[in-house]
Amino acid sequence: MADGWTGRRLRVDLSKNTVKVEEIEKPYREKWLGGRGFNSELLYREVGPDVEPLGPENKLIFGVGPLTGTFAPSSGRTTVTAKSPLGGGFGDSNMGGHWGPELKFAGYDQLVVEGKSNKPVYLWIDDEHVEVRDAGHLWGRTVPEADLIIKEELGSKEIHIALIGPAGENLVRYACILNDVYRAAARAGIGAVMGSKNLKAVAVRGTRPVTISRPDEFYQVCADIRERLKRDLMVQMLYDQGTWLLTMPANYEQGWFCWHNFQKGFHPDASKLSGENHRDNFLSHREGCFACPISCGRFSKIKEGKYAGEITGGPEYETLTAVGPRIGLLDMDKVVHNSKLVNELGLDSCSCGGAIAWAMECWEKGLLTREDTDGLILDWGDQTLIDRLIRMIAFREGFGNILAEGSSRAAGLMNRGEDFSISIKGHDMSQDDPRGLGFAFGIGFATGRRGGDHLQGLPCLELTGGFYPGLVEKIMGTREAENRLSPVKKPEMEKYSEDIKAIGDSLTQCSFTHNWSFAVQPEDMARLLSAATGMDISADALLRTGGRIVHLERAYWNRLLVGCLEDRCPKRFTREPMPDGPNKGVVFPEADLIPRYYDVRGWDRKTGFPLPEVLMEYGLEDIARDLEPCREKYLRKVQMENQIEVQTAEKL
Amino acid sequence: MACSLYHEGECSPVLSRIRIVKYEALGRNFPSACSQCSKPRCLEACDHGAIRMNESTGAVFVEESFCTGCRSCLVACPFMGFHPVKKVAFKCDLCGGDPQCVRFCPSGAITFRSVDEFLMERRREMADKVILAAQE
Repeated sequence: MADGWTGRRLRVDLSKNTVKVEEIEKPYREKWLGGRGFNSELLYREVGPDVEPLGPENKLIFGVGPLTGTFAPSSGRTTVTAKSPLGGGFGDSNMGGHWGPELKFAGYDQLVVEGKSNKPVYLWIDDEHVEVRDAGHLWGRTVPEADLIIKEELGSKEIHIALIGPAGENLVRYACILNDVYRAAARAGIGAVMGSKNLKAVAVRGTRPVTISRPDEFYQVCADIRERLKRDLMVQMLYDQGTWLLTMPANYEQGWFCWHNFQKGFHPDASKLSGENHRDNFLSHREGCFACPISCGRFSKIKEGKYAGEITGGPEYETLTAVGPRIGLLDMDKVVHNSKLVNELGLDSCSCGGAIAWAMECWEKGLLTREDTDGLILDWGDQTLIDRLIRMIAFREGFGNILAEGSSRAAGLMNRGEDFSISIKGHDMSQDDPRGLGFAFGIGFATGRRGGDHLQGLPCLELTGGFYPGLVEKIMGTREAENRLSPVKKPEMEKYSEDIKAIGDSLTQCSFTHNWSFAVQPEDMARLLSAATGMDISADALLRTGGRIVHLERAYWNRLLVGCLEDRCPKRFTREPMPDGPNKGVVFPEADLIPRYYDVRGWDRKTGFPLPEVLMEYGLEDIARDLEPCREKYLRKVQMENQIEVQTAEKL
Repeated sequence: MACSLYHEGECSPVLSRIRIVKYEALGRNFPSACSQCSKPRCLEACDHGAIRMNESTGAVFVEESFCTGCRSCLVACPFMGFHPVKKVAFKCDLCGGDPQCVRFCPSGAITFRSVDEFLMERRREMADKVILAAQE
């Protein structure tokens, strides 16, 4: 037993029906930290380029870190990793709630699910007792139903369950995994991976303590940080309005409100979805994750109208915009209802909204007709249709079967509307428009580890950094970087934020403490980690570890021959100037920023691959060797692509 | 986690003197902890003199060295705890007058006050309702 970590990995093979506990050695723990770091390393090593994401060789990896389950603020998070059925490459997703700490209390840092069961099953982990149980009666059940049945069956309500809904069972490529009914690890389609293994749920009960190397010091560090978080303006705002607080500034001040599939960044009536309106008229109560002093989580209750009486966890900003303005809705009751629906069916709201928005835009532009859609009329904001379509997607019925493939694949299948699939590397964008949100964010979208997503680096230094006097100047060397739409120092900012994010996801600690609020600095994370584990690490060394994780994940893509050609934002962001709102005329200057980001990272501009010497610096010699043949192959791919471009230009 | 780390130097809900009863689907949570009764059942149940009351403050606490691990107090009161390794009972001791759960409660859900303060607050809440109703 180690302090902080448990030092144990639980490996369950559903094909062979075997359970194994492995030791995670100290040097490995210190090199990869935990959570996302452990998971990414294992995925790289054990899930190679030829593995089919929905086949039995893919692995579903749940990871928690050395701070999970401790008194460290906001440390209750879990990373779930697998090869993504949506993007076809690296995939991971992070969830809050209480499931991760429970896994830790049961005595494991990591759970690896391998193989494929020949019938529906769920996993029951009760400290040392690990059992694969029949789930035939749970198949087809929604998330809250299944949660209740499992608790009754196991005879305890004091357990935490991570599970999939019907969408995961039906292999919808953006199905999610939820724990405690409403906390989702939504992105990258990891719920479909779980479904492909015929695994409905993982129920956990843990009764063992997480030991701390220097408890008094650890207590004091936690106390200091908690005091700071309590006084922090961003934290106070999150408690007050949750992530709903973004609606007003996103629309009226910053112009990145995702309207009609990013066609506009502004809508005059966006205040209908304001944080104030939600808090005053829809908020049932606040719900925090494990050990969290922020409590950004919401429970919403619909009081009036067709959906009166419905209660649901959430929604968060990304969900409310995905099943709201992105598909043409501004009524809060409808948005809350749709959020409840995607949760219960087990869909990722962002990709679900993305797929529906793609279809609606194709319909608007006349690219889809009733013959293509089984007679459906896909008008923006038609709630009756949207409600029906979400269910059709989850059960893969009719036209829903095409949308269940995700917008990018759907465009390929229908052979049209490619430009309206607002996705990167096949992974639908979250509802964040770099033409307003910020240019550092844009770099993260283009180069991110799972495709279009704001959580690659979450570089909020350019969004909320200005609220912390002197902070951005101290870190970036110039106040100009506070300006969201200035290119100055943005590659550096994205790199810095990505490294911190990777540490936070590995420790695990919620990004809202260090990438949104800045109450927790890398020095604090180093103090927490040192006191918890006794390993004594500096902030600089910790940041290097974050960089190592980012490089490993990059190498995962590179090994699949994905590099600079694929690091591209949708044309909408780079070619179409923002049509109205506060940022009228802005485009995302990708051609300028991405090569500069490569330079800052030490990646080759010609391929977008990390340079061998840079990988060596991070202690990734093996990976540098792995990438050499890929680099040559990819270079040829780039050269061919360039030739085609030249020929096309000549023809024109 | 403040509680178990403060008292035991380890992080564990099982070692915490305050526990939360959770209803995940409803998102409802109930903190449950010792209410420091004046005639404590746990104290009455203990035949070994391990549960004692501080005469000046009224705080009830476990004197570990006297505890035999018989668990009678657990039967008497659901707010007791039992240490799975030390095999002794434990309970809230108000952290010597500065309860750490109150100190770190982010939402003000847990408070620590004298009985009179608590009652006056309840009375004022009641009065507020009456006044509000009269105004309407």
